[in-house]
Amino acid sequence: MPETSAPLGVKWGTEELTEVPRAFHTAVREHVARRAAELGGDWKSLVFDRQFDLLSADDVLAIEREFLATGRKFQFSAEISIREEPDKYVRAEAAVTEQEGLGEVADGRVVVALGDNVARHQANVSGTIAFVSSPEQVIDFLTEGVPEGTVAVIDDSGGTLTAPILDGFRAVICLGGTVRSHLGILTREYGIPCLMNAAIAGLHDGDEVEIEATAAVPTADEYSAGSAVRARVWKKA
Amino acid sequence: MRDQRYRQLLETNEFIRKQSDITYWLCITRTVQESKLFPVNPYILLSYLNAFYRWPTLLRRVEERISAEECGDRAREMSLKLDTVNSGWALSNFYLLGRELLLAMGVLRPEDAWEDVVYVTDFARRFNLAFQRNNGHLTNKDSGDRGQLLPERTLQVFEADLYDVMPGDRLHTASTQLMAQLSQYAFLAHCECRIGIHNSGPYNFGDGKQMIVRDWFDLTEGDYPWLDGIATALEHNNLTIPVVLKDTNFTLMDDWASFESEPSYSAENVAAVGLYTSDALTDGYQPVGMGSPEQLAGTMEQIREILSEATVDLWKRIADWSRLQMIEAGALVYASVPKDFAHLAGIYDPDDWFTIDDRARRFIPLLNDEYGNMALGEMVGLLSYPSQRANEYVMARTSNDAKHMISGLPYSILLDDSAAPTVGGMGPGSSSLPAKSGRYTTSQGRLTLDEYNKLAADFRPSAVEQPYRFLDDEWVKYHWQESRADELYRRTQAGSRNLAGRGAGLRRADIAALRQK
Repeated sequence: MPETSAPLGVKWGTEELTEVPRAFHTAVREHVARRAAELGGDWKSLVFDRQFDLLSADDVLAIEREFLATGRKFQFSAEISIREEPDKYVRAEAAVTEQEGLGEVADGRVVVALGDNVARHQANVSGTIAFVSSPEQVIDFLTEGVPEGTVAVIDDSGGTLTAPILDGFRAVICLGGTVRSHLGILTREYGIPCLMNAAIAGLHDGDEVEIEATAAVPTADEYSAGSAVRARVWKKA
Repeated sequence: MRDQRYRQLLETNEFIRKQSDITYWLCITRTVQESKLFPVNPYILLSYLNAFYRWPTLLRRVEERISAEECGDRAREMSLKLDTVNSGWALSNFYLLGRELLLAMGVLRPEDAWEDVVYVTDFARRFNLAFQRNNGHLTNKDSGDRGQLLPERTLQVFEADLYDVMPGDRLHTASTQLMAQLSQYAFLAHCECRIGIHNSGPYNFGDGKQMIVRDWFDLTEGDYPWLDGIATALEHNNLTIPVVLKDTNFTLMDDWASFESEPSYSAENVAAVGLYTSDALTDGYQPVGMGSPEQLAGTMEQIREILSEATVDLWKRIADWSRLQMIEAGALVYASVPKDFAHLAGIYDPDDWFTIDDRARRFIPLLNDEYGNMALGEMVGLLSYPSQRANEYVMARTSNDAKHMISGLPYSILLDDSAAPTVGGMGPGSSSLPAKSGRYTTSQGRLTLDEYNKLAADFRPSAVEQPYRFLDDEWVKYHWQESRADELYRRTQAGSRNLAGRGAGLRRADIAALRQK
């Protein structure tokens, strides 16, 4: 009988594709298999009755520490993570964005962002760019108020970071998510023009921009097929 | 015996594959949800593990008092947090995805806990069959992405009592602003989860209009310990706004209770609205501030003001949490999606639903942000765990790939008793969040836990009393002139401004005439 080297002995199996899940799952798999052999007896008697002997919280902690000992750090998503454990997390480098249409110049204006339009509005909207990515910035806006005409660029498709100030924005450009993400749902409710899953290039705090809020809204099928039409954001070239 | 068990396993695996296919479609039409405030994906994975270890016991306890089918019948009559997304979808999928994660880590084998898997999926199926009785399908996906839950008698009350609105008038403005505020607050109160928001429908309201029913849950002091002292001026823990839209065709109402329409949903097309509340102690939908358009607008403005202030208060509270508290809170939001079953049964205990089981807690050191994002993305998008592979000839629904999101149970279970049938009972749990100390906001006032459980245990809505529980629209079709039909409709019409006492004989034209008056 041919042997398989795939995890768990799965006939058609392969390893996880990304580094951290692959490393963690492999370590847990190997640890549990080793402990099961050490403990002896059949799996049925171990799997739940001796589950903490197979894998304890300390075992899991050791797996994480062993991984970190290699010098590899984790990319963070939530600000709280890097704030509490700055030695464990690292900020990801901003990806270089190349997308057809981005950077095109016409009529003295350059396309500085492309995104998926959440809701079709009757007219385009203009405003001033403000990047918002941390709770501290939200507190500042709460304290001082959101300036009139602010177009927020948010690298978070969630609905909680900007919850207390969202309705103060003229428009939103979100660097992640889809039109069905939480931020997309909320901006639609508020009637705030919003582009999700946006790619940007040459966009900075204080830029004056116009957002193509009149663009078509991608359907679920277009998302599945990767054929969604992208709405544009212009600024003066 | 073996034939009966074989049939059980066949049905279980059919249900699992259906959920697997539906969930894959739901996931690939979104991206992995991230947040700068909450470590979302780490807490999602923790919630799945908590669900796997705890739900079999907790659901069995519920069924000692009330069956899954009766829960479905009761949930169908009003808006409880036992709905399309919470109990229709999450109930089975969170549990099964917890199992899948443990399978991938080799902590579990596919035959382990097979009795639990059979039971939880069977509970979910039986609940959904009753809950979706009028829809005639097990899921919204099965019915072409529609969620038509309500019977004619409830829809007639809505049609008769909703107030017409026009863009620019006070009620139109108040209602659209309240819906936005409710949604925003619900995402925050639910730690970025969407499960505090629910939509169902659409329903044909004639003249090219369609209605959807929009719900928001757990808005003030109640089950969530972090809402103690938040939005306490709000009298209602759950709110429902039926919304009629003109010139809008709802093309999708999916199993996450999200909708799409052509053209896209716009407040400009909102043509009529109302406001209701319901919970485990109400006899159907109870109108809120529905005496006149002015009263309703004022009520909506007042609620919006309360929630606007509560959003700031709660955001500041959450912003002070530790990462562990954020992960626990988010995980507990997800892991408590079936908690309203316990409310219906009158056996709700916060320790059951708002602590992290030690069996799940041991995995927390793995749950850094990057692992959370990638492990969840692999599990529900790429389907790249070794456990998710199928043989090389398989072409799965939607993806055409040889992999499935959720593993089935192997039929070899029938050959011997070499598999552990259950995870066992409840394990000890804990939470680093402040303990629940406030009261529970209900339609019967702000109650202590004991008061709430006692009232709930003794309460049964009139529409699910016999014989009315089994008098559906198929029966009404032929028996609408009978006194029992009138009595059934009158029970639903009891709180209606325009239909109270009218009975079963009304057609749409009659309701239009009543609205004219």
